[in-house]
Amino acid sequence: MKRTGISILFTFPVSILLVALMGGCATGSTKNATSVVDYLFPNTKDPVVTPGIPTLTLPLRVGIAFVPSNSSGHSRRSSGVFGSYQDGSPALTEKRKSDLMREVADHFKKYPFVKDIEIIPSAYLRPGGSFANLDQIRTMYGVDIIALLSYDQVQFTDEGKLSLTYWTIVGAYVVPGEKNDTQTMLDAVVYDIPSRKMLFRAPGQSRVKGSATLVNQSEELRADSGKGFDEAAKEMIVNLDEQLTNFKAKVKERPDEFKVVNSPGYSGSSGGGSIDLLSLLLIACMGGYFLWMAKRN
Amino acid sequence: MDGQTQLTVRRLPVWTLAICAGAMLIFIVPWLGTQLIYDRTAVIRGELWRLMTGNLVHLSTSHLAYDLAAFMISGTIIEIRGYRYFAMLCFLTAMMIGVAILAFEPALHYYGGLSGVVTATVTYFCLHGLADKGSWRWLCAGLLAGLAIKLWSEMWIGNSLLLSVSTEAFVPVPLSHLIGAFSALLLFILMRLSACIRCTKTAV
Repeated sequence: MKRTGISILFTFPVSILLVALMGGCATGSTKNATSVVDYLFPNTKDPVVTPGIPTLTLPLRVGIAFVPSNSSGHSRRSSGVFGSYQDGSPALTEKRKSDLMREVADHFKKYPFVKDIEIIPSAYLRPGGSFANLDQIRTMYGVDIIALLSYDQVQFTDEGKLSLTYWTIVGAYVVPGEKNDTQTMLDAVVYDIPSRKMLFRAPGQSRVKGSATLVNQSEELRADSGKGFDEAAKEMIVNLDEQLTNFKAKVKERPDEFKVVNSPGYSGSSGGGSIDLLSLLLIACMGGYFLWMAKRN
Repeated sequence: MDGQTQLTVRRLPVWTLAICAGAMLIFIVPWLGTQLIYDRTAVIRGELWRLMTGNLVHLSTSHLAYDLAAFMISGTIIEIRGYRYFAMLCFLTAMMIGVAILAFEPALHYYGGLSGVVTATVTYFCLHGLADKGSWRWLCAGLLAGLAIKLWSEMWIGNSLLLSVSTEAFVPVPLSHLIGAFSALLLFILMRLSACIRCTKTAV
């Protein structure tokens, strides 16, 4: 009798605590973000930077870099879900950043007016470094144009009805009761460093939905995060292509806003072996005559 | 399989279709284009396949359309007429163009396009056509003469006269056309020489 009383005394508060934990941790979200504005204009007291007229020297040497996250902490978690699944670590590792930048760089290497694309490690960019930091990058890498990449990823986790099975302990291992929603935005802003002028920008977005068991929640969230960045990067590359085409048209239409000069000896660093229309017509005529001859014979 | 079907299968321009399909695939998948384009820095670094595969990479839709249309016609003529060593001609020309650009065009960082190979195939079937009879022979001779004038003018002005007014974002490379014509002529002469040697041996 005495023993039962002790058990009740012990289990009752524990149960209350567990229920309270479950109720309090039903949803959670994690946000990871970097901002180009925070990097370029960190101090609002500074005078507004007045952009000049950019002079684009062909072929272009372009740098590409991820803006660093602010030390004040742009990575945050609003509440945990049944324990800790995220410890506030950055969404993108340095290797992942490098892979993403290489993917973007490879796509734009083929353009004739691009001589080099330098991938600049994040360590070379100071949080809130602004244009002074970009000037240093320009000196170090010899780039005039820089594509600054920033990201904003939010991961939401909600517990579905299936999470009730966690009370059985086994359920926490086998039942995917956690519903995850990962929303990602990658943004590329292309700046002419000497003139401080923004040339164009292109975003890429993605939304990944998934589910996980309680025990593999953090693993699933990491996988969703990676997938989100991959999909956003693909969309961003497509948008960059489109914006680049628009920008080329803008440069031609408004020569007073953008100056384009060729480096000495440069006439275009990409060459194409191309057939002209007259040659194509002649060859087509030969082909037609050949067909007619073959049919007749 | 009846005789007619066998003939059709035998005369299907397999190499032409394969090369065109390859060029289209590379154009559709940008990653492939990046890995295969003639990139001077990468070639010097040791990625030697780019010397040859650069010919399959195209820099714009119109670039691809013009080159493929011309190659489709000339390649089909060669394969249907059964002129030998067509595949060898394509590989030899592609390689020679890559090496020539590396040696003689140091300012060119990237190169892509099939027109050098097209020039080679046109030259090749025209040279063979000279041995034919009738109007085909004269058409081939006329086209060869026109080709010679075109090559001469391109080398003279250092640009393609008709392409110089186009809005393409790349510079034409007349050297690739010259190398294409040269490789076709070289292969044709070698073929004739070996045939002569074989004839002499048989006679002896």
